Amino acid sequence: MTVEQQPVPISLARLTWIIVRDVNRTLGGGLAAMELLRRTFIRNRSMDEFDNAGLVAVSRLTPGTNVLAYCAALGWSLRRWPGALASLLAASLPGSLIVGGLTVALVSVHEIPAVRMLLAVGVLAATFLVLSSAVSLLRPYVRSAVLVRASVIAAVAVGLMLAGVTPVRILLLSAALGAAIGAGTGANGE
Amino acid sequence: MSAIAVYLLLLKAIGTSFAGMGSLPQIQHDFVETRHAISGEELSQAVLVGRSTPGPVGAYVVAVGYMAAGWRGAVAAWLAMMTPALAAIPLLVLIRRWLHLPRVRAAVDAVVIASGVLLVESGIRMGVDAWRQVSTVF
Repeated sequence: MTVEQQPVPISLARLTWIIVRDVNRTLGGGLAAMELLRRTFIRNRSMDEFDNAGLVAVSRLTPGTNVLAYCAALGWSLRRWPGALASLLAASLPGSLIVGGLTVALVSVHEIPAVRMLLAVGVLAATFLVLSSAVSLLRPYVRSAVLVRASVIAAVAVGLMLAGVTPVRILLLSAALGAAIGAGTGANGE
Repeated sequence: MSAIAVYLLLLKAIGTSFAGMGSLPQIQHDFVETRHAISGEELSQAVLVGRSTPGPVGAYVVAVGYMAAGWRGAVAAWLAMMTPALAAIPLLVLIRRWLHLPRVRAAVDAVVIASGVLLVESGIRMGVDAWRQVSTVF
């Protein structure tokens, strides 16, 4: 927010309700939920596009689920620690309860052949969703400015994977390699 | 498997990934291949449940926790999912100071690229598992 445009204060209860509503009504990942939150809070004048850009950058850099990091940072920006904790609970609890309930149901019926068939087809569909997540992660790097460096890092990651190196070590080694050969143009062209 | 073990293993997987599904390769390694706490089929079902429900995609870990250690495991998984998000708050302060440094930015980019590569591998494994299940039923 600029000095001329002070953010409109928001109560903890209203912040919590908006996050429950916007995060838990989207299928298809955190980007959709973050877009709904951006629209709502900009419309309410609780933040502006510049604030949102900072929150998005932080959410991409924070380990774990992007939308939870976005909500924690958003809550902290608006209501400090009570806001961060309330936002985190609001974003994670309803979905987790639904997942828990569905899993219980699934465990009790998954030996039925028809259910197994449906599950297998569903998993095939989920496979494409996992692959689409990978594509959305890699797409910003498929540009001529960073393609060579990104290809080197990807090739090293594939090599380490084939050599049986654990995922955590692959990520850490990739970070070290990126820092060593990097210092060029980032994914956002910065 | 104890709830504490579920929490620590999931925290390791989630805390070293940069997307909701980014934790999948490490979870596959720790829960399926190393400790045999759940089967590959159960992990695929957990991903399916997570992708079929509204809310964060990363919530599939709650299903992983339940399958590995019952309700205590589910609660431990929920806590493990939330814990790394708190790092966003100090990062919000630090990002303005450090992200402009090219080497820091390059290291972050490299981690995201490696996460994408690992996800492709996990996706292929899931697809192969699902195809085997379909073949078995027929």
